[in-house]
Amino acid sequence: MIAAVAEVVEIVRRRELLRNLVTRDIKVRYKRSILGFIWVMLNPTLTMLVLSVVFAELFRVTLKDYTPYVLSGLVLWLFFAQSTSVALKAFVGNSALISTVALPKAVFPLSVVLSALVNLLLSSIPLFGLLAVLGLPVSRHVVLLPVAIVEVFIFACGVALTLSTVTVFFQDMTYVYDVLLLAWMYLTPIFYPASIIPGKFGWLVRMNPMIHYLNAFRACIYMESRTLGPDLWYGLVWAAIALAVGWALYHRYKDRIVYYV
Amino acid sequence: MLKLTDVWVRYRMAREKPRTLQEYVIRRLRGGTVAYDELLVLRGVSLEVEKRETLGVIGPNGAGKSTLLKVIAGVIKPTGGTVDVRGRVAPLIGLGAGFDPDLTGLENTYLNASLLGRSRNEIEARLPAIVAFAELGEFIHSPLRTYSSGMVVRLAFAIATEVEPDILLIDEVLAVGDEHFRTKCEKRLIGFKDMGTTMVLVSHVMQEVKRLCDRVLWLDHGVPRMCGDPKSVIDAYLEATREAGDAGSGGGSAGRPT
Repeated sequence: MIAAVAEVVEIVRRRELLRNLVTRDIKVRYKRSILGFIWVMLNPTLTMLVLSVVFAELFRVTLKDYTPYVLSGLVLWLFFAQSTSVALKAFVGNSALISTVALPKAVFPLSVVLSALVNLLLSSIPLFGLLAVLGLPVSRHVVLLPVAIVEVFIFACGVALTLSTVTVFFQDMTYVYDVLLLAWMYLTPIFYPASIIPGKFGWLVRMNPMIHYLNAFRACIYMESRTLGPDLWYGLVWAAIALAVGWALYHRYKDRIVYYV
Repeated sequence: MLKLTDVWVRYRMAREKPRTLQEYVIRRLRGGTVAYDELLVLRGVSLEVEKRETLGVIGPNGAGKSTLLKVIAGVIKPTGGTVDVRGRVAPLIGLGAGFDPDLTGLENTYLNASLLGRSRNEIEARLPAIVAFAELGEFIHSPLRTYSSGMVVRLAFAIATEVEPDILLIDEVLAVGDEHFRTKCEKRLIGFKDMGTTMVLVSHVMQEVKRLCDRVLWLDHGVPRMCGDPKSVIDAYLEATREAGDAGSGGGSAGRPT
């Protein structure tokens, strides 16, 4: 227990390293493209356009305001999917550093999730732009938006720690997670209305943490929702579980990582 | 100051290690267990290096030299024994490890310094010295992928030495540069000694070890064979290696044939 706390203190002490790793991620990602930061906003917006053209007719009856529905779904899902699938390689990919410098290794997966968080914030800008264009009012619960984002951030950190640790010992985790992520995406109402999920799969909906984060995210931005309270509570519980599992796993195996990377 | 007391590093390596989840699950389902090989990388190494002292570590490949450096750097926790390291340790980070090809030399310098535990402010004052030593000039503002490999080594070396570590760890890095660079590095390392830095140097270049080190440790299969003044240890090591070579691969314990 004390050792686990010491590791957290060490990470806080090395926050400048964390910041440098995050800025490196962001700089490197956009340095070579002329449009630079615009891309991070353009990417979900363009995907939204494609999905709108394809699915808008289909879901028109059940869902009004399809475009902000898709865009909010995409922005949040991309944050989770990209941060965790990149973080999965955080230890394996930094093997040379891990075996020469004594560092709190968790900075590697954490920096990946942090840089994805910066992208999430940036890519939320077009979302609010879209609401303005459509003349839709911003939700009165918008003050709770930071809470929803912090919850999904913590959840992603927990998943990232779990995946990055497991991948050190089982390298095929990256293929397993690819498939898992695809299935997870289809089980999450990103571009279809939650109401089309058949009742017999209701348990799956309840067991999917991303649904709560997505509901809360949308409710805090524009959507009418009667479940914002429960969604935030479920989200908090899932975030706590994910972080506890991820940290416990990382803490237990962190001294062995150097032998395997 | 640096003190290791009876340090053992054991490393359990699974025989036919399941590297994938699939293999692991299949093996478990069949009821099989995983057989382990015990690998003793360091067996009871004790040593003490004083301030201002430079210790050379020699030995055949697989002798545990790099593991010893990792133990000192705090990367590996020893299975047995104690490690007492006082002061800031700076390993010379392997080529490219702490560098990103798309960042400029300057951005990489900040990143590298923070990996070594130094803040931007601390390193900022040292910047002119780093650029001068690495002979980079205006290149410091270009992305690292435009550098020659020599420029990268020079930058890495300049950063690791400019952060003023109390203990500097060097693992075969000097072999990379050209003659001019090597001479320059050696000069710098000797100057370092006068500032009170402790150094541990792993090398296969015996001339270098002789020139730089005050004391030499000869490791063999994780066991310290000899430790003492550079000339006698190196001579004994070379002698043993030659004998092992003469006796063929079966004889002598001085070195595994590589």
